[in-house]
Amino acid sequence: MSKPSSFSLRGRKALVAIRDERDATIVRRQFERLGIDIVSWEPGATIDCRPDVALIDDEFLPLTSPAQRAALGRSPVIALLGTETPSRLKLVLDLDPASFLVKPLRSAGIYAALVLAFERSERTNELKQQIVKLDQRLRSRRVVLAAVLQVMHTHALAEPAAFALIRRTAMEQRKTIEELSAEITAKGSLPRATG
Amino acid sequence: MTKPSIPVGIICSQHGPYQAMGREILKSAMMAVDEINEQDEFDFAISAHVRDPRGIISEYHTVCDDLIRNVGVEHIIGCYTSASRKQVLPIVERTDRLLWYPARYEGFECSDNVIYVGASPNHNVLPLVRYVLDNLSREIFCVGSNYVWTWETNRVTRELVTAARGKILAERLLELGESAVTHIVDEIVRRRPPVVFNTLVGSSSYDFIRAFHAATTAAGLDIPMLSCSLCEPELKIAGPASAGCITSSAYFESIRLPENQAFVARWKARHGEHSSPSVDGQSAYVAVYLLARALQRAGTSDIGEVRRAAAGHRYNSPQGPVWIDGSNNHCVLTPRLAVSNAAGQFDIFWEAEAPVKPDPYLTQLDIAASPARDGTLPNAPHLRVVK
Repeated sequence: MSKPSSFSLRGRKALVAIRDERDATIVRRQFERLGIDIVSWEPGATIDCRPDVALIDDEFLPLTSPAQRAALGRSPVIALLGTETPSRLKLVLDLDPASFLVKPLRSAGIYAALVLAFERSERTNELKQQIVKLDQRLRSRRVVLAAVLQVMHTHALAEPAAFALIRRTAMEQRKTIEELSAEITAKGSLPRATG
Repeated sequence: MTKPSIPVGIICSQHGPYQAMGREILKSAMMAVDEINEQDEFDFAISAHVRDPRGIISEYHTVCDDLIRNVGVEHIIGCYTSASRKQVLPIVERTDRLLWYPARYEGFECSDNVIYVGASPNHNVLPLVRYVLDNLSREIFCVGSNYVWTWETNRVTRELVTAARGKILAERLLELGESAVTHIVDEIVRRRPPVVFNTLVGSSSYDFIRAFHAATTAAGLDIPMLSCSLCEPELKIAGPASAGCITSSAYFESIRLPENQAFVARWKARHGEHSSPSVDGQSAYVAVYLLARALQRAGTSDIGEVRRAAAGHRYNSPQGPVWIDGSNNHCVLTPRLAVSNAAGQFDIFWEAEAPVKPDPYLTQLDIAASPARDGTLPNAPHLRVVK
């Protein structure tokens, strides 16, 4: 099945907290055109859904409830700015917004803000996953180093040859170098291939 | 008794790189204005105030400002390119006027101060590309004018082609009005793509069509050309070289509807037997009628009232039934595909079974991009062969 267009927003769910009724009407109409479902929310109420995006009016900031902040932290936030004063921007930055719109709202700009928010969120999540992977690999360097020393000792090999042997064995056994290294350090020797 | 008059602005370039289409839009709009002013059905007359920005982009802002400030119009018909519409948009929004925009465009806009009378992208690009993928090729060579219409048309084409596991072989862009096309034609002859998608506008397109035809004929090649904008007056300008172009449009002169046959007869009586209406001109004609009918129903020229009166009101136009979708201010209309012939006309080979809702944000594109299983379009248009 082909990947859906990243520019089609149909079927996404948005949490919307907007104070001004005119702005809210514009958002509702534009979301309807885009096929986005709306869940209206007023700060103070609990967030009992998992939205794909949240539009938060700066009039409602700061959000004092840690539960609300945590709930919003799971989806990209689009901030609606009524003023560009640094004090207000500081409150907005606390939400870590993926995009923003300037009030009073017009239909123009809403689609772009949504696409930018989703893209930014996706790229940020990819980077976070990448960081987790790199972090794990960094931590396992100690194990790999220990395994290389073990193989150098047991096989009387120089360091490059010991590492090459571990890498080749890992590939043969369809394991990561880190996984094999953990086995080597646990067993004290290079495990034999099974099966 | 003299009918009260309502001033309406008409903005279209009668000079510059797309002057041919500007003149067609003006001719059709004025034809509708004259018809309306003679009909008892309307208890007012339209006083048309025509402005010619001469294809100079900054002039659109100037003439629009003049029409609103000095003439006091509330309704404006016109603009052809998206660049020109974007110039006018901030003024009509700021002053709360209504622009009736006749041209097909790339979508991704929805102003409360614009009525989009021409085709939305789901009306023209989608049916054309689906047809090509299902019947001709999964590899397309694109050549177009370097502006937003081409960029977005190519983007949609790429999404559809890629989803069908096909390939865009090239995207070649020329500046508006550019006539140096030889290097692109040479590349096409050298690479021999299965199809060429032409999104050039105005004189660049006519130059390209002639050079493409000459070069491919000399090389013994038969490469189909695609278009979402070519129309009958342009076939006459480009000459016999323009025959064989597969074109997507909501309007062709050859539509066999009584409303169209009467329209074409009135057109030829007014502009000459050898003259032909165009899709954008016919759309301007439709725009004037949609406006006039909404003015009549609203009983005022106030734009909020007129917009409400216009929404959902069906008009049996030359291109078939047309109405404005009140949820997005775009028109519901019937997509068609045709191939141009040596007589400067189009032979329609299919059309949607019923008028299709506009989808300016292509919210259904992911569905349209999924491979067709039964040879018909997967999106709303259910097609039938027209003989």
